[in-house]
Amino acid sequence: MSENVRIGVFVCECGTNIASTIDCDKLVEYAKSLPDVVFSIKNRYTCAEPGQQEIQKFIKEENLNRVVIASCTPKMHEPTFRNCVIDVGFNPYLVEMANIREHCSWVHHNEKSAANVKARDLVNSAVSRARFLEPQKELEVPVTHSALVIGGGIAGIQSALDLAESGFDVHLVEKEASIGGIMAQLNKTYPTID
Amino acid sequence: MATESDFKCLRCGHWFKTNYEKNKPEERTCPKCGSNSVRPMPEKKK
Amino acid sequence: MDVGRHPKINLLAYSEVEDISGYIGNFKVKVRKKARYVDEVECTSCDDCVDVCPVVVPKEHQLGLASRKAIYIPFPQAVPASYIIDEENCLGFNPIACGKCAEKCDKNCIDYDAKDEIVEFDVGSIIVASGLDVYDPTEFDEYGYTRFENVLTSMELEILTGPGGVTKGKLIRPTDRKVPKSIGFIQCVGSRCESRGTAYCSNICCMNTIKDTLLLREYYHDIDCKVFYMDIRAFGKGFEDFYRRSKALGVEYIRGIPGDIREDPKTKNLILSVENTTGNGIEEYELDMVVLSVGMVPRKDSNSINKLLTLQTTSDGLLMEVHPKLTPIDAPTAGVFFAGCCEAPKDIKDSVTQASGAAARAASILSKDKVKIPALTATVDDDLCKSCGICVKVCPYSAITIDMKAKEPAKIIEAACKGCGTCASECKFDAISMKHYNDAQIIAQIDAILEENPEEKVLVFACNWCSYPGADLVGISRMQYPTSSRIIRIMCTGRLDEKFILHALKLGAPIVLMSGCHPADCHYINASLKAQLRIEKLWNKLERKGIRPERVQFEWISASEVGKFVKTMEELEEFRKSVTKKEIEETKKILSKSKK
Repeated sequence: MSENVRIGVFVCECGTNIASTIDCDKLVEYAKSLPDVVFSIKNRYTCAEPGQQEIQKFIKEENLNRVVIASCTPKMHEPTFRNCVIDVGFNPYLVEMANIREHCSWVHHNEKSAANVKARDLVNSAVSRARFLEPQKELEVPVTHSALVIGGGIAGIQSALDLAESGFDVHLVEKEASIGGIMAQLNKTYPTID
Repeated sequence: MATESDFKCLRCGHWFKTNYEKNKPEERTCPKCGSNSVRPMPEKKK
Repeated sequence: MDVGRHPKINLLAYSEVEDISGYIGNFKVKVRKKARYVDEVECTSCDDCVDVCPVVVPKEHQLGLASRKAIYIPFPQAVPASYIIDEENCLGFNPIACGKCAEKCDKNCIDYDAKDEIVEFDVGSIIVASGLDVYDPTEFDEYGYTRFENVLTSMELEILTGPGGVTKGKLIRPTDRKVPKSIGFIQCVGSRCESRGTAYCSNICCMNTIKDTLLLREYYHDIDCKVFYMDIRAFGKGFEDFYRRSKALGVEYIRGIPGDIREDPKTKNLILSVENTTGNGIEEYELDMVVLSVGMVPRKDSNSINKLLTLQTTSDGLLMEVHPKLTPIDAPTAGVFFAGCCEAPKDIKDSVTQASGAAARAASILSKDKVKIPALTATVDDDLCKSCGICVKVCPYSAITIDMKAKEPAKIIEAACKGCGTCASECKFDAISMKHYNDAQIIAQIDAILEENPEEKVLVFACNWCSYPGADLVGISRMQYPTSSRIIRIMCTGRLDEKFILHALKLGAPIVLMSGCHPADCHYINASLKAQLRIEKLWNKLERKGIRPERVQFEWISASEVGKFVKTMEELEEFRKSVTKKEIEETKKILSKSKK
């Protein structure tokens, strides 16, 4: 590494979702013991506003250049945390997540000791990966300002009308000879009888 | 050309026959345990 | 309806989506507009053609009580309001046989030689509103749906009593065409059933039956209505009130699903036997007419759309969203959204609500001039590239070009590359690197996980689209599995280079699992099959080296297959215990000796 890697590890308790299985204080201590980790702290909810503000604050104060968040699945909050760091001029590709909730605390709550070992491994894995992360520039592509709606039932019709009313061109494709779908065959419908 | 060939499930050890064509993989499932880890064993003996 | 007239809406009825390619902001769509043989713009719905058409066939969904011609309008309010020729029955395709409608049409709208038309256009976003189908209860043979004329489905009752129905709204019983004196509704036909129809509750059938009973009691005061149910689910705003009104009007609710229906051959009345679970055991009822309250099932034809957009379904066949609570409208494929029943059975209000939500989600993309594409593409190291061309051959997207004769290094077309990593895995010279999933990053993760007690761990490489979120869903469902697993996320199994697996084995991993999308669901066309082929080759290689091929396993686990994920982890944990320290040490020795 040519630059001096400075990793911050943010451990989320997720209320009790993580904290009831994982000893987050110990996990913070473990994170601090890893090479290049210069800072670690736990939050009650890292994704909440105070948690995000802490990330932003410590990026500046501790001069962090990598951020590891040990919390839920990246499928859920990776976009959240990427946007959070963008706000302080940090490249979003320098954020890494360790999934200690869906892949650990929730699936091993009867085996606390082994779950804590696993959480450490997941944090170590994320920190090790973070060390090699590189800033990336995302390709920007132009957007075609029109939509395709597949299906001309009540849902497709409503979507098409809403989009058209918002000023976008819509292509509405219906398989049958007429739009209307099942709704068109109905007589009177609940909860009002009409 | 696809021909019938021997397969061995690397999960449960079950041997079975199904279609095989070299370099043309397809999704295969062990009829006994349901695993996808089934290894084509053309020209191999049990 | 407004849709047919809206200047911003291009309505393509009687059309099917044939192909979709591209990505968020830039999808290319190809639609087949099927020949309807009638010019829908010129047609004025004058009915002259229908008058002269000599072919009479039974009208759809009318219980054989109504007929239509071979040239027809599907229903009075159809949009577009144009006739269509039913290819199967029309005689006009043989010019000698017939041509009456074409002769009669003043505006020359009819063209027997019309051909399917292919329409192509670009869009920035896609809303899937492909719906569900009404369940066909034929397999419930005990209810005699195909044998007894007076047994109909709730959908047939709807059409029969609707304004487009043959009786113009009057309820009649098919056998004697008289208003029935008694009518029974059987709930949950094809719903909440593991063996027939679907396992889920179809959501709308309870309320639909309640509505039917209210209407019937309103029009025919003395009609005897009975509803056979297992639970009445009236959970929406105003729904409970509806249920109470129905009961107050004298509709009888009997908790029990009839075991069978018999028909009195003389009166054509229907005899139901049912175990009344709030009464005195088995009871019998004789009714004039029975309505099977049928649920909703996945459409058989929705597979093609799901495949084009790489959408996955639950085991029930409903489309899977990114997150059931936080992003319930978004498809995992960026720029694609769901509206209506294709996502889950819904009533009209919920369908319309979700449709407006989907439109808003789509508009959030369409209102931008540019969108960002994740930086996950491949890059080539020109110095290492030997211009062998293998990357060009394996790329699922033809996103790599190369001039092999001139020995020019490979070039990546960044906008076309989706980042599956197949090229990087297949390159023998390590000349291709994946942004954000490069070799150093993945190796660092393997090293970290196997740093301590590697023999206790099951190393899993899971793809971003199926197996990784599948493991997430196991967590969301709070299912438990052995703690030995350690998952490393990669975008696609296509990224799994054999060197990662060999590296893990060399560090003492007892077992390595590759888990990804079923080849039919692969988000990168066929990258997961290429990964399978690499594993098959690796097995042979391991065997030659004297390492048990069983130590490397793969599994196709979709985002909904939680049971398969747990079973796999349990089996692999058992297998891991059988790998001895001695075997691991031997493997380490073998792999440190060999160079590659």
